[in-house]
Amino acid sequence: MRLLLLGNEAIAYGALSGGVAVATAYPGTPSTEIIETLEEFKDRFVHWATNEKVALELAYGAALAGARALTAMKHVGLNVAADPLHSAAYTGVVGGLLVVSADDPWMYSSQNEQDTRWYGLQSYIPVLEPGDPAEAYKMAKTAFELSERLRHPVLMRSVTRVSHVRAPVELEPPAPPRWGRFTRDTKRFTLVPANARERKKELVEKWEKIIDVAGEYMTAEGSGDVVIVTSGVAYNYVKEAVKRLKIEAVVVKLGMSVPVPRKITELAKSVVVVEEGDPVVELQLRSMGVATKGKLEGFFPKYGELDVGKVAAGLAKALDIPYAPPQPVKAPLEPAPRPPALCPGCPHMGTFYILRVATSGLNPVWSGDIGCYSLGINMGQQDLITHMGSSVGLGSGIAVAGGQFVVATVGDSTFYHAVLPQLIDVVTRQIPILIVVMDNAYTAMTGGQPSPSKAVPVEKITEALGLPTFVIDPVDIKKSIDVVKRAVEVVKTGKPAVVVSRRPCTLIATRKARRAGLQLPKYRVDPDKCTGCGLCYNLLKCSAISKRPDKKAYVDPALCVGCGMCAEVCPFGAFVVEGRREQWLELWRQA
Amino acid sequence: MATSIVIVGVGGQGVLTLARWIGEAALAEGYDVRIAEVHGLSQRGGSVEVHVRFGKEVYAPIVEEGGADFVVALEALEAVRAYRYLRPGAVLLVNKRVIQPPGRWYDLKELIEAIKRSWPRSYVVPCYDAALELGSALYENSVMLGFLSQLLGLPMPSSLDERNQAAFRKGMQLFQEAAAADQ
Repeated sequence: MRLLLLGNEAIAYGALSGGVAVATAYPGTPSTEIIETLEEFKDRFVHWATNEKVALELAYGAALAGARALTAMKHVGLNVAADPLHSAAYTGVVGGLLVVSADDPWMYSSQNEQDTRWYGLQSYIPVLEPGDPAEAYKMAKTAFELSERLRHPVLMRSVTRVSHVRAPVELEPPAPPRWGRFTRDTKRFTLVPANARERKKELVEKWEKIIDVAGEYMTAEGSGDVVIVTSGVAYNYVKEAVKRLKIEAVVVKLGMSVPVPRKITELAKSVVVVEEGDPVVELQLRSMGVATKGKLEGFFPKYGELDVGKVAAGLAKALDIPYAPPQPVKAPLEPAPRPPALCPGCPHMGTFYILRVATSGLNPVWSGDIGCYSLGINMGQQDLITHMGSSVGLGSGIAVAGGQFVVATVGDSTFYHAVLPQLIDVVTRQIPILIVVMDNAYTAMTGGQPSPSKAVPVEKITEALGLPTFVIDPVDIKKSIDVVKRAVEVVKTGKPAVVVSRRPCTLIATRKARRAGLQLPKYRVDPDKCTGCGLCYNLLKCSAISKRPDKKAYVDPALCVGCGMCAEVCPFGAFVVEGRREQWLELWRQA
Repeated sequence: MATSIVIVGVGGQGVLTLARWIGEAALAEGYDVRIAEVHGLSQRGGSVEVHVRFGKEVYAPIVEEGGADFVVALEALEAVRAYRYLRPGAVLLVNKRVIQPPGRWYDLKELIEAIKRSWPRSYVVPCYDAALELGSALYENSVMLGFLSQLLGLPMPSSLDERNQAAFRKGMQLFQEAAAADQ
């Protein structure tokens, strides 16, 4: 069966054909669709874990028991899972363990450009690097056998342009899941110092063997004096650039880019290296005594994504041949930027407005976090966003450093992922901080995976810890401002407080309304009443509302979802509703 | 030789779906296909850009600047933003619709005039108006698909439901009218 599959779907189907039994992940762009695809297969254990460490532990444990297991995450998620990852190399595994980590060069949806392949070198775990969905399918399918043959975990490094590229893939049917039962092997699995020392000795020996195994994943095509070494998605750009430049070259593709196979030294003493991300292959080649022209001396850019043009320009420079790159056309005008914005009717929009009003005069530090609510940056209400859990983690540090009023905003999924342990510290030291959990019931940014918030409500946890907790509905703006002001008063007395702002993701609710055949109410502006004060488009910042040339507000009827937050904030009653709102708000509340 | 298409619009307009339909139609015709999608943050109401390449043999999944044979814009301001992808002789397709960006107001007519003047090889397609006539703005991408299919020589993808098929045919009709007006 030949289908047009996303790289992530191909990885999932590959794992199915490889007999995966346990598959876990925490959602993160560009890795999310791997587990989403597997979710339909009820004969396996497929699970959205609370965070990447929990996800890897489930898969690693299953593999120790002899099952075939996969865990998937984005590159920064691997940092969260790094502790068990390193131990997995020491103990090795019994059943195949495949750890997929998807990098995001040029950071379309991430805070950094980290290259997963470094983890392979650091943890002594081999890294497979597919270049397209078809190859990702094959590699995922055979990774379990490789892992079992080596009795060692295997990493797969994908990138946005593999995970989120759709291409034809030839599919085979799924293989039955391989489950396992744990067999005691104390010397191997208990990493107390005496055992760990023995394991380290074994590990370096094993690594020597893996350097040869990497050769099985190396291919060479073409002929000529020039040797180009490439891996992963970069191979595709090399193929087209070589054709464009009409050069005769041997193109060496490393399917396993960590470790670089020993046999490559037999091919050439001097090579051009083209790779996506950091110079991981290039540095390995240099350590083997091969002269290289790659990223280190800047033949290819050291940041961002490659494309055919960049690779052609780099090859031309490295080989000293002329090349005239295509010249981009100049546009007739400079279009205003259209940065990502909260969806029309997003509950976060209401929460930010409520918080701004309830803390006015306090000049709070807005300690932000990773999720849709990062877009509070558009309202000037995210002063820092660095990693999962930065809201409460860094916010607490700022609060103890100098006594500023800190508002930590975090979504429900990130709350469970990273904030739970931080809460204990907030309580034990009574750190004065206003923690706002924006509970929209889903991991919305990555497409709406379920979060634990329905099964384990936030207020049950915070109340059990003795934290004063206030629950609000963000579309009910006026009433909520008064409630949040009470929470602010608690923090002013030098104690922590929690606000849970609860309303499900609007995107998911509107989808459900459409399916239920419910017509959404729409708001429009009465131009006689609108004074052009700008509260709705400047402060609430609903993206369905724009500013007319006469400063009056305009609601785009195609974008309005009838949340009514504009009517709540308008002091002049200028928003007029058409249709009924009660039934919609109720369906939305239960979405 | 691969055909390189850059499709742009605003999050929520069905840019991804349009790209997948083109890919599906190209695959059905026996071509190799690459679609470079965007997910996550980049989708949220902001500018969206998806690349489609098809041909006998395709490797690179993305189109470089100055490398597109077709730029297809579901929104006029995004069309302007995507100029950098046009290669000399490329065809630009623009939906006759502006979605106002935050803090600015653009006049649709002026925008369309500026595009027509600066890139003569452009078609302004009233996908939005046609979609509204068909009952919902949701169909503007299938109207555009119908129009574009005539330029690419690709069939209607088999996965379109009845209402999208009607929109597709409307797009084909708009192309024929545009072609007749050209002569």
